[in-house]
Amino acid sequence: MQTRVRPALNARTATVSLWSALACALALPAHAQSNELTVEQLAQRLRAIEQRLGGGDAVANASADSGNLSDLDQRLRVIERKLELQAEENAARVASTPAVSLSASKGLSVKSPPPGDVELKFKALVQADGRFFIGDELLPQNDTFLFRRIMPTIEGTWGPLIGFRLTPEFAGDSATIADAYFDLKFDPRATVRIGKFKSPVGLERLQSSGSTGLIELGLASELTPNRDLGVQLQGELAGATVSYALGVFNGAVDGRDSPTVNPDNEFELAGRVFVEPWKNASNALSGLGFGVAASSGDRRGNGNNFLPRYRTPGQTQFFNYRSAVLADGAQTRWSPQAFYYRNGLSLLGEYVSSSQDVRVGAFADELEHTAWQLTAGYVLTGEDAGYKGVARPNQPFTLGAAGWGAFELVARYGRLEIDDDAFPRYADRNAVAAAARSWGLGLNWYLTGNLKLVANYTQTQFDGGAAAGRDREDEKAFFTRAQLAF
Amino acid sequence: MKTALRLTLLALALAAAGTVSAKDTDLLNVSYDPTREFYAEVNQVFAAQWKQQTGETLNIRASHGGSGKQARAVVDGLEADVVTLALAGDIDTIANAKQLPANWQSRLPHQSAPYTSTIVFLVRKGNPKGIKDWDDLIKPGVAVITPNPKTSGGARWNYLAAWAYASTKFRDGDKVVDFLTSLFKNVPVLDTGARGSTTTFVDRKIGDVLIAWENEALLTLEQSNTRGQFEVVIPSLSIKAEPPVAWVDKNVDKHGTRKQAEAYLRFLYTPEGQRLAAKHGYRPAEPDKVPAAELAKFPEVKQVTIDGAFGGWKKAQAAHFSDGGFFDKIYLPK
Repeated sequence: MQTRVRPALNARTATVSLWSALACALALPAHAQSNELTVEQLAQRLRAIEQRLGGGDAVANASADSGNLSDLDQRLRVIERKLELQAEENAARVASTPAVSLSASKGLSVKSPPPGDVELKFKALVQADGRFFIGDELLPQNDTFLFRRIMPTIEGTWGPLIGFRLTPEFAGDSATIADAYFDLKFDPRATVRIGKFKSPVGLERLQSSGSTGLIELGLASELTPNRDLGVQLQGELAGATVSYALGVFNGAVDGRDSPTVNPDNEFELAGRVFVEPWKNASNALSGLGFGVAASSGDRRGNGNNFLPRYRTPGQTQFFNYRSAVLADGAQTRWSPQAFYYRNGLSLLGEYVSSSQDVRVGAFADELEHTAWQLTAGYVLTGEDAGYKGVARPNQPFTLGAAGWGAFELVARYGRLEIDDDAFPRYADRNAVAAAARSWGLGLNWYLTGNLKLVANYTQTQFDGGAAAGRDREDEKAFFTRAQLAF
Repeated sequence: MKTALRLTLLALALAAAGTVSAKDTDLLNVSYDPTREFYAEVNQVFAAQWKQQTGETLNIRASHGGSGKQARAVVDGLEADVVTLALAGDIDTIANAKQLPANWQSRLPHQSAPYTSTIVFLVRKGNPKGIKDWDDLIKPGVAVITPNPKTSGGARWNYLAAWAYASTKFRDGDKVVDFLTSLFKNVPVLDTGARGSTTTFVDRKIGDVLIAWENEALLTLEQSNTRGQFEVVIPSLSIKAEPPVAWVDKNVDKHGTRKQAEAYLRFLYTPEGQRLAAKHGYRPAEPDKVPAAELAKFPEVKQVTIDGAFGGWKKAQAAHFSDGGFFDKIYLPK
């Protein structure tokens, strides 16, 4: 027998409430809430929900006399309770399950359950270059394809105190470690960094390798140390408008990484203060930053671990000391530096002085080499430029659609001058140049936030460096790069 | 000068000692579901007593949940100073993780169980389904509320009490399994803990009978908002549940709370501790320390013991509640 439900004829409040509850629970469409609906139909729909929730046997067994309202009431209560338990279970699961996220911009990250102070991030930077030299008859260079960088990175936090980063480099003939450090994050104003990382001297050198304006660094960066091993206190003050770093390191020669151990038992102090007074304001000066960096330490020894070799932006060497020269005392660098970013415009400039006590036999001198460079860029497609590069095009490149990504034009000029006193005792003017002047133009095409194609032309002129006091032939380099970063 | 230096050092030492003695001490009791009200009062009484005896302020926090889940939380790093769980097997789990010695149960009287309880039925007023014994729980149309033995210590006692009854009745393993299978087919909602099951039965008004700790049933009878709505039914056979207590050596040594933790648990054996247990529906392990009037609410129940009927918790755990054990076969039929 089919029982017809007629709410209008049923005065019992409990029954009306039950019907309302049933209607809500079963998400009945409005047109279905008619007087034509039967208890059997409702029971059928309830049974379908029970089957979806599982445990249908127990429910059915406990509800053998299905077909009356009190039974439906019980079954509905069971469903509600099961949903409550599921919600509790889900909440507990969320509270105890690490959060895994994968995105194009941030790579892969795994975060511990709340409070989430353990986090691992996997990132990568891959740069594949095509490099071609033009008119290199007298000093032929290899035209080549090469991987400039293959750098996966694991970084993150291990509790509220500890941060870390590990970046191996696979692009060379053998794998090396680029960055390997951990931070003790006592406070944003005072973090202690321990391990191998970039020395805090060069402004362009401190930029991420994937964010620099041109493919290779300019001449001024040749006078600044790259990655070094040591301990550094760093932090941000005054609402992050002032940043500082002060560290003690094994000591790296100009333009290079430090060796894995300290070869001369001497240490180097390096520090930097950088100010962005209007960083938190919204005016034309908010992208202005300037500062000064310096390093000082003794260096004693002979060879590549102690004395620098300088390269052009085409990565060919144009200066080195004679083989008998010793580093024999203080090395001091100092560098005023500044940048300015405003909408698509970028300007970055620095001056570097690097002096080193050297010795050959009974002769000793302090030689001071200097360099400066200015890099200017403009994003043609309207995106903002920044110290970290053009992060995300407004209209990423899409096959068959309107988006072409972002385009940026970059130009750089720089000079590096070797101390006159280096010649002829410490260096051979017929073999190495006394000065280099380089200009370069670049076009950066940011197809997406992760993919960047670059073309650079750089031309470098030299003073000296060829036989009979002549100038070494100009270097004309056309470099291209495909870069994947996340 | 030397005298001045000595006096200064003495003053600093005294100041330091004063600082130490005035320091608050935290103590975490990780317990199971139905002990909330009991330990809330124990903590208050003991902390006051301890303050009076030592001058030290104890901040005793309690964590409650399904006993099995609580044990796993301690194994996973919840730094309990003491555990007061539903069954010895759960504390054995923590001992297996090397957080306290394997002989922990011999460190306190009565196998570290300062109070016992048993398993009873709670039915709605008037007992509309006429439930008198375990047999009534497998009848079609009877909805039985009991939590999940995988996560709840109380549920394991419930299950084992039913098993003990069926074993006594049938003396045939297959029929015992069939009995338990029929019983769990009548369970519409499997909560994770005993308190959750009480909520299901009492507050959500689901089911016809709640298999419950005796103390949980008595508490429901006595609460003002549920008074007069339920009845307790004593089955013909039940089980003597012995919820044990222990301090967790690894954590008390780490926190420097060994002395406080041990005193806290020994307090449970004092006349005051035993009286509080009885007040909250637990049968005192040393009833002679409690006035007879306080014991009147505990009727005579024919009980088996875990050792006598199942050969101890380790055997019961392995046979019934481990993965692939009897409970998996009963509740998850292939």
